[in-house]
Amino acid sequence: MATLNRDDWYDIARDVDWTLSYVKEADAFPAVWQGAAGIPRDAWASWDEPFRVSYRDYVATQREKDAGVHAVKEAFKRSGAFEKLDPGHKAIAILHFAGTTAAEQAAVTLEGRFARFAPSPRWRTIAVYGMLDEIRHAQLGLAFAHDLLRSSPQFDWAQKAFHTSEWGILAVRHLFDDILLGSSCVDGAIATNLTLEHGFTNLQFVALAADAMKAGDVSFSNLVSSIQTDEARHAQQGFATLEILAKHDKRRAQELLDVSFWRAFRLFQVLTGPAMDYYTPLGHRKLSFKEFMLEWIVNHHERMLADYGLARPWYWDTFLSSLDHGHHAVQLGLWFWRPTLFFHPSAGVSKAERGWLCEKYPSWEASWGCLWDVIIDNINTGQLPLTYPETLPALCNLCQLPLGSALDRHQLRPYTAEHGGRRYHFCSEPCQWIFGLAPERYAEHQNLVERFIGGQITPMNLAGGLAYMGITPDVMGDDCHAYRWADDYKAGPTG
Amino acid sequence: MALFPIYGRFIGDFVPHLVAVDTDDTMAQVAEKVAVHSVGRRIPRQDGKGFEVLVAGELVAGDVVLGSLGLRPLDWIDVRFRE
Repeated sequence: MATLNRDDWYDIARDVDWTLSYVKEADAFPAVWQGAAGIPRDAWASWDEPFRVSYRDYVATQREKDAGVHAVKEAFKRSGAFEKLDPGHKAIAILHFAGTTAAEQAAVTLEGRFARFAPSPRWRTIAVYGMLDEIRHAQLGLAFAHDLLRSSPQFDWAQKAFHTSEWGILAVRHLFDDILLGSSCVDGAIATNLTLEHGFTNLQFVALAADAMKAGDVSFSNLVSSIQTDEARHAQQGFATLEILAKHDKRRAQELLDVSFWRAFRLFQVLTGPAMDYYTPLGHRKLSFKEFMLEWIVNHHERMLADYGLARPWYWDTFLSSLDHGHHAVQLGLWFWRPTLFFHPSAGVSKAERGWLCEKYPSWEASWGCLWDVIIDNINTGQLPLTYPETLPALCNLCQLPLGSALDRHQLRPYTAEHGGRRYHFCSEPCQWIFGLAPERYAEHQNLVERFIGGQITPMNLAGGLAYMGITPDVMGDDCHAYRWADDYKAGPTG
Repeated sequence: MALFPIYGRFIGDFVPHLVAVDTDDTMAQVAEKVAVHSVGRRIPRQDGKGFEVLVAGELVAGDVVLGSLGLRPLDWIDVRFRE
């Protein structure tokens, strides 16, 4: 029997829809999950995405991709090459698996929500493949990290991280709970598919893939590149949704994009900024975090906004300033609070690395180098205890990251809001603004400092805090190069 | 007399810290408790220079007691080298 070509049946198949008679439309597709209030029902008939995937095609392609990824993984494992990589790169791998694996699993829920509640049958159809993509990504993360357990127990955090209250993971979960688990279809498509997957995952899956390849981790590079091919496909759901949203509710489209762009940026300042500018061995770096952001994220975002008749976010100048400073602040914080991490951070400020940082970020020395100088002197004069924290940093009530980790230290000042008799603190004006848009969405969440002073962490000391965060002695972070980089400065002045 | 948590920032450092002070502490004592997390750790020491406290941008005398300021837990206090 002859088989129809895909194009002969595809449009009919993806447009099959329910004709509801036993339930009301609003009961079958609750507004709270669909998120399409204010958009005419028939507007969704024009929702379209370019990939046009059938199940048969999908399975064949994914099978091939998986076979390739696992073949490289097995060959790389046999070669024992991972053990010879720089410890800075190993830190990147651990942070990547811990920060993304369970998030991929949460993304299954979002895609599942699309598949069930999206306002267009076409969208519901394509989301099934998105759901399968995300299952694949979570399983790959677990499989790769499991293989690497023989290198370090820290890889167990691919599985464990999201079940802990480690401070950095709380920040990651705060975003992903918001945009993956607690968003309507329309909100989720803008925040996740369009902003996060089409934009920011390029940092993690393209920039890091290139750096990993140069660093010698062929397997990791191959893995994240393979994942990115899926992301690029299912991210298209975001554009199809924005097309309709921008036409019928431009104000909401602008607000959703502005909120999700800042929230995603803050997260990737942690996940990717230090990895690119401090952890990747100097000789293996391609672009700086800022250069990659400008080329791959900023230019693209500006073009996309113009294409849909939208404006740059109101906080654009703040964002550009943060691009010069935020991830340097994050790096200093990660390194200083290293006992609270589940990986060994790289300092990345040897004299040669410092020269590179000053070349890429001309204000680095004045803003950050002088703080590192005190740390370096303490290391080289045997005062290591002064390089460890004795308390927690103040934390943002929106992004959960330290106050001071978004901007230059010279710009550090309080941003607060009052809600329900409680005062909230923020790292920046955009985080303050996002909270103010929907305080009831964020108000009940307590950051780690509030949990500490509220008596949830006992005993109220460092040991109690580490236990609360799930940090055990076998994974507790320390300088991944055993402070050898500071030897550079023994002979003469820093700088 | 009661423990009281504040966010203390030593001006020039990159983060404010959670600092446990006491409602009976003077500003001079509060300044010392804030400075210990920054000075000599990321901010260079300045021998012989004392500290001073600013609340909401206003200088507060060293003998003023914290409890008299009407602050709420986790309010932000700035400390700097005496100018």
